[in-house]
Amino acid sequence: MDKAKILIVDDDPDLRRALKIRLRANHYDTVQASDGYSAISVAQKEQPNLIILDLGLPAGDGFVVLERLQNSDTLSSIPVIVLSARDPLSNEQKTLQAGATAFFQKPADNNELLDVIRATLPGTWRGTALPS
Amino acid sequence: MNNGHTHILLIEDNPGDADLVRLRLVEGGSTVEVSSVNRLADGLASMAKEPPSVVLLDLNLPDSRGADTFRKVLEEAPGVPVVILSGQDDEVLAMKALHQGVQDYLVKGDITSRHLDRAMRYAIERQGLTRSLEMSRQQQLEFKNQFLSHVSHELRTPLTCIHQFVTILLDGLAGDINPEQRYHLGTVLNSVHQLRAMIRDLLEATRAESGKIRIEPRCITIGDLIQQAVSMMAAAAKEKQVGLEVGLDTRIPFVYADPDRVLQVLINLIDNGLKFTPPGGSVMVRACMVEADPNMVYLSVADTGRGIGPEAKALIFERLYQDPNSIDNSCAGLGLGLFISKELVELHGGRIWVASEVGNGSTFSFTLPLYSLAKLLSPVITYEGRLRDAIVLVKVELTPLSNPPRSNWKDVCRQSLHTLHRCVYLDKDLVLPVMRNAGSNETFFVAASTDLERSEIMMKRIREQLEAGAGFKAAGVLKVSATAVLLPSARDGQPLEELVRAVAERITETTMLALASKPDLENASGHRSAMKN
Repeated sequence: MDKAKILIVDDDPDLRRALKIRLRANHYDTVQASDGYSAISVAQKEQPNLIILDLGLPAGDGFVVLERLQNSDTLSSIPVIVLSARDPLSNEQKTLQAGATAFFQKPADNNELLDVIRATLPGTWRGTALPS
Repeated sequence: MNNGHTHILLIEDNPGDADLVRLRLVEGGSTVEVSSVNRLADGLASMAKEPPSVVLLDLNLPDSRGADTFRKVLEEAPGVPVVILSGQDDEVLAMKALHQGVQDYLVKGDITSRHLDRAMRYAIERQGLTRSLEMSRQQQLEFKNQFLSHVSHELRTPLTCIHQFVTILLDGLAGDINPEQRYHLGTVLNSVHQLRAMIRDLLEATRAESGKIRIEPRCITIGDLIQQAVSMMAAAAKEKQVGLEVGLDTRIPFVYADPDRVLQVLINLIDNGLKFTPPGGSVMVRACMVEADPNMVYLSVADTGRGIGPEAKALIFERLYQDPNSIDNSCAGLGLGLFISKELVELHGGRIWVASEVGNGSTFSFTLPLYSLAKLLSPVITYEGRLRDAIVLVKVELTPLSNPPRSNWKDVCRQSLHTLHRCVYLDKDLVLPVMRNAGSNETFFVAASTDLERSEIMMKRIREQLEAGAGFKAAGVLKVSATAVLLPSARDGQPLEELVRAVAERITETTMLALASKPDLENASGHRSAMKN
């Protein structure tokens, strides 16, 4: 069966590597982007089922990415989970208003993050993440 | 002195003394402009119109006497330097004035022109210094806030990496590990959690200091919150071999507080209790009512630890306070937890204190206000000492489109509540505190000072604004309805408070009824959610 594909957008290569290991262990496919600009082009090319997005990014920060995703016919339906070191007090509401599904502050609890990923993925993918 | 031009306001009712001061000023050859008034009220009015360079103030005026006189001047114009003209016999008062912000004092009858000129010039200079000191203090506070916010962000990034890879190793995602390796990695993970808590406290304390912490009180069941805190700390208690127990007074009514913040305080106090209690001891969390103080609930966290000495007791809620005995063992922290707890409790209108004896454990207690709808309603449904003519209860129901709801449902509901607050008039409408949070349907109520016909406008606004919220239409449906609240007919001499209480009771009945009778989707699908009343 096909696996759900998750796009990881973060400028820290170590963190991308860690998330990749964690997500693959939970039966997800991953693709990556390291800045705001390539986030959009990779999303267009790969058509992921979900995006994990950092806020502080070179070449267009997370809010710019959220706006471009929202304004795109082909990408606006992809759910986005924001994973950022920024203060939730001043950023959580803002990201949700900008169209994100959830906000996690780094470092986030792995199980909570995986739960939300599982619940957020569009219907057909929901079951595939569970170990058979 | 601005533009080399000095304007002196002389507030003095004795014409002889006023003339003498003018004479001395002329003698000194100072190029000053003097305006004089003989009543405090006139002086304050003149200062409001155009702040003088310096005020010469007699304390005993027809409309004010003694310390009141300079207090009023300092209050009205905190930036203007004040020099007091005192009689021979009230130098004690003059000294007091200096401590409260007056720049200088001159004893009448002892004034030479050189004396007067110097006193005024120095007063103006000193006031300027004070002002720039205050400005740089503000700038420093702002700088510190920005700095700490930046530092905490930068610290979180590498911490996230450590956290990620330690959990990857611990979860066996990079191959099997032996028990000893697991033990060591567990220690690393604990340190990561500690570091994360410290970074959070650092930001939180800065916010508290600059008054930026916000609380969102709702109507809560305190027993549930205590159970939640205790279950969150159960693992830590077990590990330390310290008993963790709960003692609840079952008669406690609803409490009006921010559940997240109260949980934060409880966890902080329990964590402290566990830290300072040796294995075999216990930590007890209690909540009770106290007859002498019927509007508050009393919560306490008692431990059987080593206790606190009197000198530490006085300082323990201060920012950065460290128990000097705890530096050498693993109990040290940043010394911010109790400071933050105190700020949070006081934001709720409660107080926090500690009772302890060395060797006999400590009991930290705090109070929180009980929920009273009448108290919240009173300012919005009364006007000029009487009830408003009409009050309407608007019901806003949010039902998720799917079961189970989309994962962002809670966020959508929270967002909607925020939006709802912006749809009402603060002085005459009240968004009622959310009563319970079980199940996925969310119902909010607004008590609005309007009649049914005019409430249509508000309902239209609520519909439009809420449905425009991010992700709302994809997640749920909205129903807005209104019912008129039957107002009690005021009998002669019936106190307003009683009328407000009667309205509050009717509103409570209506909301309870509405919540109880709503179609219960949860039950139909097997999720039995207990009513928390």
